[in-house]
Amino acid sequence: MNPFTEDRFGSNAGAHAAEETLRLIATLPAPEGLEDRVKAGLRSAPQRGMVVAWPFSTTQRLMHSAGSRAAAAAAIVLAIAGGGWGVYSHIQVAPVPSALIEPQLPNGAGHFSTAGAMHVPQTVQGPVVAAPTVEKQTGKAVQVPQRHGSKTKNHQSGTRSTTPMK
Amino acid sequence: MEIVESAVHDEARQHAEEAALAALVDQYASTLYRVAFSVLRNQQDAEDAVQEAFLRVLRHRETLGEIRDHRVWLVRIVWNIVLDRKRRAKTRPETDDVADLARVLPASGLSAEQRAAALQHHANVLQCVEKLPAREREVMLLSAFEELSSVEIAAVLGVTESSVRSRLFRARNVLAELLQHKRSTP
Repeated sequence: MNPFTEDRFGSNAGAHAAEETLRLIATLPAPEGLEDRVKAGLRSAPQRGMVVAWPFSTTQRLMHSAGSRAAAAAAIVLAIAGGGWGVYSHIQVAPVPSALIEPQLPNGAGHFSTAGAMHVPQTVQGPVVAAPTVEKQTGKAVQVPQRHGSKTKNHQSGTRSTTPMK
Repeated sequence: MEIVESAVHDEARQHAEEAALAALVDQYASTLYRVAFSVLRNQQDAEDAVQEAFLRVLRHRETLGEIRDHRVWLVRIVWNIVLDRKRRAKTRPETDDVADLARVLPASGLSAEQRAAALQHHANVLQCVEKLPAREREVMLLSAFEELSSVEIAAVLGVTESSVRSRLFRARNVLAELLQHKRSTP
């Protein structure tokens, strides 16, 4: 029994007339065959979880219990934590020295060093052209043959070869 | 062997759930339809809302055993559905509502003039009800159902019983003013 029908003859007569209308609508009968149509709709509705669910329902019932769910969650946490520890334990972290060692400069602190200097190879000494000498007696100029790129003993000794003057 | 036994057990459980659902349809489909029609005022929309409500039940059928009061639970489901549909279908003209109402209202023992006058009165009332604030309107609509107590209305709306009573009081006052204003203006 609706408790609101008790004061229907109170001060708000217009409101009660309105409630009569609402009550009339609320008591309208449902259309014929409604239940059958609803059942047919339920039968044609796709069943939930038939594609991805495990076919054997024993596992489903197992997972319905709270203990099994907690155990599964704990196993997942252990697996993740174990994997993380495995990665962590295999990483060798370089030891951090207690004091910073300053590297020694080769030329002393604040000086230039030879690091980065360009080394030029020693080039071959070029040929030396000797000036022709004239002998006074014979009037012939004697030219000392020189080979390009070859060094005489005088060259090696650092003296220039000249004909002796008489 | 264990698998076969569990499969048989699962099949039996499924049959039991289907039977329970069919029983709910037989018992409460009519009530849910009337609740839906009181808000939507369209036969097809109300029937669709009932269908959707039972589809939701089908999706959560494993929780059926935990429900204490199936009637209030189902009314709450269909109530949320029709409110949602009402919000989405706000653009529908009111003349459709009146035409639907004229089709379904009982006309026995009334002349054509009386029937037209009654229909006009109902249409005026419904227009005023639509102008009520949402909270007051919802309580007003649900209070029209004889089978719902104030406690059950409170359970459907998710409020306290005293809140239901205060909202209904306000709804009646506002509705009386609206109807008075409508009568005074030509």
